[in-house]
Amino acid sequence: MLNIKTIDDTTINERVYQLNLGPQHPSTHGVLHLLLKLDGEVVVAAEPIVGYSHRGHEKMAENRIWEQFLPNTSRIDYLSGLIYNQGYCMALEKLCGIEVPERAEYIRVITSELNRISSHLLGIMAFVMDIGAFTPFLYGFDDREHVLDLLERVTGSRLTYCYNRFGGVRNDIDQEFCDGTRRFIDRLRGRFKDYHNLITENIIFIKRTREVGIITEETALEFGVTGPSLRGSGVNYDVRKNEPYSVYPEFDFEIPVRKEGDVMARYQVRMAEMEQSMNIIEQALDNLPQGPVRSHVPRFIDPPAGDIYFAFESARGAVGYYIVSDGTRIPYRIKVRTPSFSNLFVLTRILPGNFIADAIATLGSIDVVVPEIDR
Amino acid sequence: MPTEGQKKLLEELKNSLTRALPEGRITSGDYARTGYHLEVRLSDVGMRRTAMVMKDNRFYLETITAVDFPGSFELIYFYSTWHDDICRVIARIQILKDASPYTVSAIYPGAIWLEREIYDFFGIRFLDHPDLRRILNPDNADYFPLLKTFGKTKLTEEIDDILC
Repeated sequence: MLNIKTIDDTTINERVYQLNLGPQHPSTHGVLHLLLKLDGEVVVAAEPIVGYSHRGHEKMAENRIWEQFLPNTSRIDYLSGLIYNQGYCMALEKLCGIEVPERAEYIRVITSELNRISSHLLGIMAFVMDIGAFTPFLYGFDDREHVLDLLERVTGSRLTYCYNRFGGVRNDIDQEFCDGTRRFIDRLRGRFKDYHNLITENIIFIKRTREVGIITEETALEFGVTGPSLRGSGVNYDVRKNEPYSVYPEFDFEIPVRKEGDVMARYQVRMAEMEQSMNIIEQALDNLPQGPVRSHVPRFIDPPAGDIYFAFESARGAVGYYIVSDGTRIPYRIKVRTPSFSNLFVLTRILPGNFIADAIATLGSIDVVVPEIDR
Repeated sequence: MPTEGQKKLLEELKNSLTRALPEGRITSGDYARTGYHLEVRLSDVGMRRTAMVMKDNRFYLETITAVDFPGSFELIYFYSTWHDDICRVIARIQILKDASPYTVSAIYPGAIWLEREIYDFFGIRFLDHPDLRRILNPDNADYFPLLKTFGKTKLTEEIDDILC
């Protein structure tokens, strides 16, 4: 943390100037607009301005039947769409009391964890490109391509999936997908050595990320920070462990935690999380039960009147669907709690007092997806 | 079924909430069905006292939302904790359509954006809020999109005819 002397109020207008970072800037990951007040190179105040890609998903939900909202869910966070897909289905299954075959739960976990890997790969590589390393980006996208090919084979799409259905998944996975996934995991494990050489042990990367953009535990509590950004601050909190859903309790995996709370810690948590995701996928493939992948669910579902809050862990943190049903075929209200919304707002607290170059590194390490904030 | 640790935590929490909010109705929720362990029902004040109790117990504010019911809004505060025995507490506050509830942003700074979002979509003005502006909708918008009176399209009516 940098010690700057407080600016005298009488001279503030002469010394402080504003800089608009975005909405079209390569390192803002989408249409995020960051209004920075600078004193020389030092950030005095930061204000994220959001809403450029607001599409009104929550209003759309009130204008269509329950099933029709399913494709919307993967457009909220387009990088971990399958996880949002799964969460929406599980929330409604809980509300309606729909049983899901065990094989379908395993397939959901496998595809969601693959999606988490692809999301982390993009998040990390785009982040290191922001702070000047171009090569890892190309390697990372090469690996991500394999995940997308695998998922395309099963779900039919590469980014905005709509694969989960109420009561299961749309179609079964085949042997070729299982073999391909195992090959991919072996390949990615081999690539981790390269990544650690290229990024983790890179002296420039270390200098740019150590003790930069520190989120303390107290700040995280006040702002509701979740996901890898929270686990980088020494808090062992992951919805998959703390509030288990689906078949996650059956797998043996760890939640990586780092104490430092800086940019480097958040990067290391994401890298370690990919390894844990690979462990989960391997265990799921080993124990994949036989049977149907979709239970018999009526064409139109009629949830009983009532409400439910369903929490799950996306690649960026704790997501929650709060669903209010009035017993009709159209949702009364669907609220989506998105992690990036809270994770981005914390920048107003942690950026002031840091250099502008560190602001770029901090923004990248939080790994926000702007459409998820704007909804 | 709640474990021993969970029961103890819930009992302590219930007691401290009852002390702070004598007028509130505190009931246990059915976690397996609704996703929350405790439910606090309040009439239009008391959100700041609830927030203070929750912060003393190391809960974080997951989100705030509102639902537009005929005749009233329901403000819902979701609190959750990093503790292993996960415990979600929700506070429901019934307010009239023209009421101005107090902000909790002095206790949880993260609520600044959450309350801005509610103002943006429902037109609920929070008292003492430091920065109550539009957040996702355009600054010059003159509508509040999540009100039930807004944007009932022809399409919805057609769906109504077909399905209901």
